[in-house]
Amino acid sequence: MPRTEAEPPLLDAAQAAFLAGPVAINVASHDAARVPSVARAFGCRVSADLREVVVFLSQKRSQGVLDDLAAGAPIAAVFSRPKTHETLQLKALDARIRRLAEGDREIMLACGAAFSAEIMALGYSESFSRALMAPAVDEGIGIAFTPVAVFEQAPGPKAGMRLEPKP
Amino acid sequence: MTPTLRSLRRCFEGAVPATIATCAADGMPNVAKLSHVHFVDDEHVALSYQFFNKTRENILHNHHATVEVVDPVSAAHYCLRVEFLRTETAGPLFEYMKARLAAIASHTGMSKVFRLLGSDIYRVLEVEAVPGDVDAEFPSRANLLSGLRACQNELAGCAELARLLDAMLEGLERHWDIRHSMLLMADPDGRRLYTVTSRGYAESGVGSEVRMGEGIVGVAAGGRTPIRIGYAVQEYRYSQATRQRFAASADGDALETEIPFPGLAEAGSQLAVPLLLAGRLLGVLLVESPLEQRFTYEDEDALVVLGGQLAMCIDMVSRNSESPAEPEVPGAAAEPARGAPVLIRHFPADHSVFVDNDYLIKGVAGAIFWKLLREHTEAGRAEFTNRELRLDASLGLPDITDNLDARLILLQRRLAERCSFIAIEKTGRGRFRLKVGRPLQLSLAAAL
Repeated sequence: MPRTEAEPPLLDAAQAAFLAGPVAINVASHDAARVPSVARAFGCRVSADLREVVVFLSQKRSQGVLDDLAAGAPIAAVFSRPKTHETLQLKALDARIRRLAEGDREIMLACGAAFSAEIMALGYSESFSRALMAPAVDEGIGIAFTPVAVFEQAPGPKAGMRLEPKP
Repeated sequence: MTPTLRSLRRCFEGAVPATIATCAADGMPNVAKLSHVHFVDDEHVALSYQFFNKTRENILHNHHATVEVVDPVSAAHYCLRVEFLRTETAGPLFEYMKARLAAIASHTGMSKVFRLLGSDIYRVLEVEAVPGDVDAEFPSRANLLSGLRACQNELAGCAELARLLDAMLEGLERHWDIRHSMLLMADPDGRRLYTVTSRGYAESGVGSEVRMGEGIVGVAAGGRTPIRIGYAVQEYRYSQATRQRFAASADGDALETEIPFPGLAEAGSQLAVPLLLAGRLLGVLLVESPLEQRFTYEDEDALVVLGGQLAMCIDMVSRNSESPAEPEVPGAAAEPARGAPVLIRHFPADHSVFVDNDYLIKGVAGAIFWKLLREHTEAGRAEFTNRELRLDASLGLPDITDNLDARLILLQRRLAERCSFIAIEKTGRGRFRLKVGRPLQLSLAAAL
């Protein structure tokens, strides 16, 4: 169910910082026939009140997901840090497609650069690491959503555990 | 143009995690990272089932999923629309995926977490290149096809088994720059393989044995499937401790553990190819490299083709090795044995033979050696034929000619490495000579 303003936000500050860090981001939705769509995102911004998450997609690389979200389908987004395998998945009942706001382009570029640097340190080649994040300079678009569920997904026994807001 | 699944095989090396999107019964999507997407054939992929998670729950309900894979060189992305078909929990594909998963797990420090419960087979309905990527083709390291042709040419020129096996490993180095390789033959007991030749190791390891199902060679043999792993992986390495553990297992027929297995201590990449002929496992070719991700799908293709060719050649030259035996080549008069007598002890329990208290060999090769030495000391014989060995009921050899040939090569090489005064020399097709340079004192050890 959508959370009301009276309820605390699902995300805490540490999780918000994680989402905006050097993480691989993939978003998914589905069409009317419930065939899933998926696309890579390039950067993320969490609102100051921790209630809204915005991920940035390359328009030309994400047409399926954008079409599905525009039709009102729900969204799932996974954030995974290669260095630690730490992974969170967020889900929302719908998403709002927005033009980039001021500063969003800079977030895309900074997130892309940080992720490239992180995976280079893990041994991926420079050419691969840069190519992977190159679409961060594409014509971007924002996908805003209000998480209704957060799941811990790092591989292991706790994978899939639904996280509740801390009191 | 829609890419074929085969053209994306680089994406399935496990170097870059893939992503899978599924849809729950209530319509909520789920998106998760995948450690491993396995190329099965032009229309199918397999995913590893390691945990019962949301992805699995969803896929059992709604069989449609979308998998995004990434080329580890160009970073090009591809979306595969897939449909779940079934789960396999045994068989060659399962064994192959288990080995590869173990490699990825070991590489990423997740060995305790990743365990394969099943191979989920999916039909690939559509492959879509994500717009905006330019997938530059990178030239392959060595021209595999021309190397294959050159290797095959060299195999075709070999008329006897020892030469054939050596030509195989020499060819791999010369034409494909594969510098560490070995060939193991399957013991007819179906439970072990023994190293008959190797190349690129400090110790040849000829005569060492591995258990069927154990390590990359044993798993490739048992599953009759090639296994290729691109990272150092503990589970598929032959540590001496593992071999001792198996050697000590009470199954009545101890594994050869005196002779160390020759493999690289720190192999970054390994590829084991079973040698199969008409449904029979002849042996396994193992190639290794200290580099990670050294062997690609294309290397695997090429080595499987060459392995098939080798299996046929092994069969052919072994059939020719006995009938008809070539007339005896008159050799130089044997040099009389000189020096102090050497004590040679034979333990009938496992046919182990010790020369001057040093272990030489055991098993079938040990039994053959003991017979040759007895005939030599009792009847003064030096010339022997393969055929008489195979017909000697006391040796209990199965009616498989390549097995006897391989045992003789093994014996010949152990002698060359470990005993300077006894040698086996081929004297023609199906014939050989035992050369003894010192007087021998044979001792049959009492059964314990």
